[in-house]
Amino acid sequence: MIALNGVALDIGGRRLLEGIDARIESGELLAVVGPNGVGKTTLLRAIAGLHAPSSGTIDVGGSEIGALTPMQRALRLGFVTSDDVMLDALRVRDVVAIGRFAHHRWWEWRERTDDDDAVREALAAIRMESFAERLFSTLSSGERQRVWIAMGLAQATPVLLLDEPTSHLDLRVAHQILALLRELARGGKTIVCAIHDVNDAAAYANRIALLGDGRLVALDTPDRVLASDVLETTYRVAMERVRLSGGSLRVFAREA
Amino acid sequence: MRMVLLAALAVVAAAASLLVGGTTLAPHEIVAALSHPRGTDAITTIVWQLRLPRVCIAAVVGAALALCGAMLQGMLRNPLVDPYLTGVSAGAAAAVAIAILAGVSPAFTPAIGFVAGLGAALLVAALARRGAGIDPNRLILAGVSLSMFFAAIVTLAIVRAQATDYAASIVAWLAGTMAGRGWHDLVTCGPYVVAGVVIAAWSIPALNALRIGDVRARTVGVDVNRAQWGILAGSSLLAASSVVLAGMVGFLGLLVPHVARRLVGSDARVLMPACALTGAALCMVADAICRSVVAPAELPIGVLLAFIGVPAFLYLYLRGERSQ
Repeated sequence: MIALNGVALDIGGRRLLEGIDARIESGELLAVVGPNGVGKTTLLRAIAGLHAPSSGTIDVGGSEIGALTPMQRALRLGFVTSDDVMLDALRVRDVVAIGRFAHHRWWEWRERTDDDDAVREALAAIRMESFAERLFSTLSSGERQRVWIAMGLAQATPVLLLDEPTSHLDLRVAHQILALLRELARGGKTIVCAIHDVNDAAAYANRIALLGDGRLVALDTPDRVLASDVLETTYRVAMERVRLSGGSLRVFAREA
Repeated sequence: MRMVLLAALAVVAAAASLLVGGTTLAPHEIVAALSHPRGTDAITTIVWQLRLPRVCIAAVVGAALALCGAMLQGMLRNPLVDPYLTGVSAGAAAAVAIAILAGVSPAFTPAIGFVAGLGAALLVAALARRGAGIDPNRLILAGVSLSMFFAAIVTLAIVRAQATDYAASIVAWLAGTMAGRGWHDLVTCGPYVVAGVVIAAWSIPALNALRIGDVRARTVGVDVNRAQWGILAGSSLLAASSVVLAGMVGFLGLLVPHVARRLVGSDARVLMPACALTGAALCMVADAICRSVVAPAELPIGVLLAFIGVPAFLYLYLRGERSQ
C-alpha cells in the first residue's frame, strides 16, 4: 500500500508537485496520466525515494520512504525508469540479475537458486527467455525496454513503479505488457504506471490519476475520469467520447 | 579457467623477476635461499633483502594500480579514467618536488608523498561533491585541473633546481622507480594497501550494479553516494601507497582493466581479481626488464610502461571501438 499525504516537491527552486494526496491499495494497478511535463515522472521518482518531498509524506508499506535505507527501499519497491543507457558487453541475463542486488549482502557474491529462478521467471513473463544470452547492446529499444521491466520483476517487490513502460513497444507487445501488469496486480502487487495513452490506461488500470501542472486533478475509476470535463481542460483539447460494445468508454482528440 | 591461467602467469612473472639481477643466480640457488630465510650467506641476503622485497613491491604496486583503475573506471563508467585522476600522484609529486628542493631528507619523501597525495585526493573530492554524493563530471574536471596545477608546481621546482643535484632527484621520482625500496616500505604501506583492497572487495556488488547507470543502480538498492565515497577513498589509498612504493608509475592503471575486461568480461566479481593478477604480473615483468636491460643502471619503470602501455592501450581501445 502507498499513501501520499500533502506531497509537494521543488527542484531547482521550481515547484513540480503540489498538494498530492492519494492512497493506492495492494492489488491495485494505478495509471498516472497527464500532458507532457506535468510531473508524472517526478511523482514516480518521489514515490521511489529518488526525490525527497519538500513537504508532506510518502509511506510505502507503512514506512516513510525517506526513512528507509536504499536496500530496504529496493526490497519494498521496484522502479522501471524510462532513461535509456548503453551498456557494454552485458548479456540480457546479467542485466536482469542486477535486479537481485538487494537480496544479497555485500559479501554474498554467488548467485543462489532463487536468483536463477527469479531471472528465468522474469524473462519468461516478458517472453524473452530466448534472449537471455544475447548482448544487451544488440537489442532494439523496445527489447531493451522489456529487459528493464524484467529487471524490475526480478527484484520481486510488493510494489512496482513503471515510467512509460510501453513507450518503445509495438501495439501487440504493449498490450502484452499491460496485461501482465494487470495480472501482477490481481496477484497482489501494487502497481503505479505512468502512461501516455489514456485509452490504454482506461483498458487496464483499476483507477486513473490525472495530473495537471503538478496537481492531482482527478483520481477515480477509468470511466469517471474519461467522462469528466477535467480531461479536456487538463489536456487543452476537445475530445470525442465513444462507448465500446462492452460498455467501457474511450476518448479521442477532435481535430483542431 | 582464465583466472587459473592469470594466477599461473603471476607466479611465472614472480619467478622470472626473482631470477633477474646484477648477480647471476641459478634457479636452484634461489629455491634453496627461499627455503632458508635465516641463512647468512650472500645468496640468501641477495634473495631475501634485495630481490624478494622488490618483487613483492612490484606485485603490490601493479595490483594496487590495476584495482584502482578498475574501481574508478567502473564508478565513472568511463574507460579513459586512470588511477591518478583523483590528483593523488600530481599532489604527491608537487609535495615531493618541493621537499627535495627544500633539502628534506630522502627518508621522508615517501611519507610526504603519501600525505600530500591523500590531501590532493581530498581536495578533488571536495570540489567534486554535489549534495551527499559525487558528481562524476566535476570529479574529472577537478582531477584534471588540479593535476595540471600540481604539474606546474613540479615544473617550476625542476626549473629552480636545475643548477643543483636536486633536479635529477625530482625527475627520478617522477619517472617511477622501486630502487632502494625494501621490506620496511612494504610494511609501512601494508595497512593502507589492505584497507584499499578490503574497500575494493566491498565495492564489487555496487560496481556490478553501477554498470546499468547511477539512477537504475539506486532503484535496485545501491547506496550510490556511499559507494562513490568508498570507491574514492579505496582508490586514493591504493594510489597513494603505490606512489610511496614506486613513485609515479603511469599507464598501468589505465591499461590493465582494459586487458582484464577483454579476458574475463565486465563482471566485477572476476574482473577485480583478474585486474590484481594481471597488474601484478605486468609490473613484476616490467620491473625485471628495467633492472636488466641497462644493468647495472636501471630504466625508470614509468618510462618503460609508457613505451609498452601507450601502443597497447591504443590497440585495445581502438579495436574495441571498431568491434562495436
